[in-house]
Amino acid sequence: MDLDRNKPGAAPARRRYVTTRRLDRIFVELANVYRFNARFFKEMWFPPYEFKEIIKQCYEIGVRSLPLISLTGFIIGIVFTNQSRPSLADFGATSLLPALISVAIIRAIGPLVTALIAAGRVGSAIGAELGSMRVTEQIDAMEVSATNPFKFLVVSRVLASTLMIPALTMYTTLVSLLGGYLNVHQNELTSLSVFFYQVFDAITFLDIVASSVKSVIFGYTIGMVGCYKGYNSSKGTEGVGKAANSSVVTAMFLIFIEELLIMQVINAIRAF
Amino acid sequence: MSSADNKRTVIVGIFTFLAIVILVVGIFTLAGQQKRLIQTVTLTAIFDDVAGLRTGNNVWFSGVKVGTIKSINLYGDSQVEVVMNIEEKVQQFIRKNASARISSESFIGNKNIVIDGGTQSAAPVEDGDRIAAVSPLNTDDLMEKLQQNNENLVAITGDFKQLTSRLVKGEGTVGALLTDTTMAQDFRNMVDNLQRTSQSTVSASRSLSAFTNKLNSSDGLANQLVTDKEVFQQLKNSMTQLEEATASASEITENLRTATSQLNNSDGAVGVLLNDQQFARQLQSTMQNLETGTKKLDQNMEALQNNFLLRGFFRKQAKEQAKQQQNQPTQQTVQPKDSIEFKPSILRSN
Repeated sequence: MDLDRNKPGAAPARRRYVTTRRLDRIFVELANVYRFNARFFKEMWFPPYEFKEIIKQCYEIGVRSLPLISLTGFIIGIVFTNQSRPSLADFGATSLLPALISVAIIRAIGPLVTALIAAGRVGSAIGAELGSMRVTEQIDAMEVSATNPFKFLVVSRVLASTLMIPALTMYTTLVSLLGGYLNVHQNELTSLSVFFYQVFDAITFLDIVASSVKSVIFGYTIGMVGCYKGYNSSKGTEGVGKAANSSVVTAMFLIFIEELLIMQVINAIRAF
Repeated sequence: MSSADNKRTVIVGIFTFLAIVILVVGIFTLAGQQKRLIQTVTLTAIFDDVAGLRTGNNVWFSGVKVGTIKSINLYGDSQVEVVMNIEEKVQQFIRKNASARISSESFIGNKNIVIDGGTQSAAPVEDGDRIAAVSPLNTDDLMEKLQQNNENLVAITGDFKQLTSRLVKGEGTVGALLTDTTMAQDFRNMVDNLQRTSQSTVSASRSLSAFTNKLNSSDGLANQLVTDKEVFQQLKNSMTQLEEATASASEITENLRTATSQLNNSDGAVGVLLNDQQFARQLQSTMQNLETGTKKLDQNMEALQNNFLLRGFFRKQAKEQAKQQQNQPTQQTVQPKDSIEFKPSILRSN
């Protein structure tokens, strides 16, 4: 059969798959993702360190996202408090609103909302930027000019995202709690000190640690997905849009999956 | 590094710094609220059932949060040892005879431990002490009590139903009152009477009030009795005199009693006179003899007057008597003159 395939005019050889075409493609993609992540951790530790690029990306991801994320967090704090009130009012327990808001925002809403908004804004930006660089062969040009494009483009962005998303989560949590306070103060005339006393009374160190760890993982995911999709985008202008779009969708999906898994782990630790 | 890069770096630094500040402030606030940054002592208590108490729950003393639950361990056969971290500064207020009980922060809130009681006579607790534990009232017990209450309520409503049924049928006094028109009329009359009585009572109480007001007025007797010291002193004197008079009367009565007893005694002269019947008969006989003797003496005297030997003496005596009667008016006219010079000493000497 091998001899027949090499003969001129013979039909092209059919590619052989380990499982099916689709499944093989998924496993190949997973292997590529693994290699991409492994390369990141490998490149991260060795010089040269691209501090300037990391700072620039921190500014883009963190500082420039702050107004949008703060405003969103503030509104979510108000809305969540307002929507939770009737349920507690049925039990005559509106005084428990600060505790409820605290648990919901610090444990889940703060990190999750920050990550989702960052995935929309930062993930798409990274995917589009790296995708366009791949399309315009800037990455190839960097490779031939003895610059490590992975270190310069990917490591800097993933590190910046991993560092800035937790910082943004802190801001979002604080601003959301302030939004909640505003609503509680308007309706229940609760003072700021009493509100924050109840907020911290309802949470534990595990909640803060879990929230921080979650936001680090979310940040890493957003940066890594954006970079992977952009770095490996297919050629053509269509590839840029696809990279940006799939960066957002994949990052958001992974964030929810991670949220679910981390919640299970934290609950197991809490029960222990 | 260009100025734009420098500015960007500073902004990122500030951004990161502020995020870290938020995190650190949050951690320290939480640590302060959970009493993790202060000196603590450890107390333990053994419960039969901790009703869902968890590590990190609060410990309250007199309504103040003084610590947290450090650990919960099974102990003995089926008991639970709860280890509590208590603030060192409140150690002096918790006594060795204090007790711990499991409570709830609200009806649907977290469980916590409340430290109660303790007397001043007992010493303050020390690190590692074990205090008494009071079993909590669990939800099952509560529901059981509620069920008992429900059964009682059903019994009460059943009785009430019977009662109202009998009332409607006109059975019993109250039923008759509701249905019998005669009885209702009687009742109405009774109420009228009661009303009149109450009006009279009101009137009487008004009169009584006026009377007491008068009594309380400054010139009233009662007020003077209460306030006037002079009257009180007089009353006191009167009482003293009355007391003395009573004492004298008592003494007189005693004397009279003695005299009477002596009179009753037949040994004395008067007693014999009063009590001895034989002596009375003798005395009566003597008196009769005396009367007879007197009559006979009278006859003898008349006989003597008529006797010629003594007739002269009696005539002489009659003449002197007549003379004295004639002189008597002269003496009467002279007497006013003498009365001017009357002296008690002269009279006394005469």
